[in-house]
Amino acid sequence: MNYDWSVIWDFRSELASGVWTTIQLTFATMAVAIPGGLTIMLLRQSRFRLLSWFGTFFTEFFRNLPLILVIYWVFYILPTLMPNVDFPPFATGLVALALGVSAYNAETFRAGVNSIRKGQTEAAMALGMSRWQVMRKVVLPQAFRRILPMLASTWVSLFKDTSLVSVIAVADLTYTALEIRAKNYRILEMLTAMAVIYWCLGYPQAKFVDWMYRKIGVTE
Amino acid sequence: MEFDFSPLLMNWRFLGNGVIVTILLSIVSAVGATMLGGTIGLARAYGPRWVTVPLAFYVDTMRAIPVLVVLIWTYFAFPLVAGITLPHFAAASLALILHIAAYVSEIVRSGVGSVRPGQTRAGLALGMSKAQVVRKIVLPQAIVRVLPAYGSILSITIKDTAIATVIAVPEFMHQSETIASQSLRPMEVFTTAMVIYFLLLFPVTRGVDRIYRRVAHLGRS
Repeated sequence: MNYDWSVIWDFRSELASGVWTTIQLTFATMAVAIPGGLTIMLLRQSRFRLLSWFGTFFTEFFRNLPLILVIYWVFYILPTLMPNVDFPPFATGLVALALGVSAYNAETFRAGVNSIRKGQTEAAMALGMSRWQVMRKVVLPQAFRRILPMLASTWVSLFKDTSLVSVIAVADLTYTALEIRAKNYRILEMLTAMAVIYWCLGYPQAKFVDWMYRKIGVTE
Repeated sequence: MEFDFSPLLMNWRFLGNGVIVTILLSIVSAVGATMLGGTIGLARAYGPRWVTVPLAFYVDTMRAIPVLVVLIWTYFAFPLVAGITLPHFAAASLALILHIAAYVSEIVRSGVGSVRPGQTRAGLALGMSKAQVVRKIVLPQAIVRVLPAYGSILSITIKDTAIATVIAVPEFMHQSETIASQSLRPMEVFTTAMVIYFLLLFPVTRGVDRIYRRVAHLGRS
């Protein structure tokens, strides 16, 4: 079997645009999922039964589902819910990933906030701070150190999970590489190139997460 | 908007087979990944340098590459290099084992590392061999401590089996897609699939939590 690695160079602009889409999707999803996760966590801790029930349901449901299924589901349900709006695949992928990642983030935030002892909240309340002030001035600054490394791991998982949107034809790196493979039958070369590109992008991120855990992680 | 769940009822056997394949694939991958990952984790914790360096590279690689890419590569590219044909199911289990073993090895390593070194030294001072110390002192505590993390790896394994649909393994996700496109009722089919996946996954995460609560005291020292 002879290999022809030059195809990778020939298709460099396509691959680069795939990489760009992957990166854009990762950033856009996180930008939605951080406020999303925060909202879900606050809902979950709400005093109103209905809201807290919804928050719990949302987190438990989406955390216990394969993302690929959520992507398919959103792909079919969005056009049914809003028949007048035309959703490009990128937006559909974004919504699906944001649903999943919001649930993960909500759990991360909750773990971070719950790790701060209750006595601190009670002490601050006794000093006359409002609930919101306690959250902002006492709990969140401490929880931040525990949340940040976990958020960074979620970021890496998200970066990898963006590859799944290729099933609904979002032109990310995976989709682009598979398309080129189908065109010129350079299967091994193209798939290896795809894996290597993902490695180059993901490896520094994984290392960065390790560094973050060492640097600011809290050991119990 | 009207719902029609009859395609699901008509094809329950087809979908049920999918659930069985999903469960089988999950078990094979989880068992394989636990054995491989346990070995890698222990080798990284106690092995010589020429073992730990390549293993660290392997683990970090698997953490950097999406499981979908590993899966596609194993199914489409690996047979070209090796000159063999891999059936769907074997390719999917191989890819999942390779990917998840990396995560298992990380938690094994962290569990082993969480047992204070003083205990190892005490064991050695009592005349135990290194293997005895690991087997009788370190591992029993480490295994209990990593149970919660292991539980989330189990649930990740089940979730990742759904990705095997892209190489047409007839597991539940793939069967659902087939029914959805044949019946033109994707909403009903995928919503039902969500409920069934949830019912598969939720007891696993909860079950591991419950076991952990019962044995947690054994891990304290």
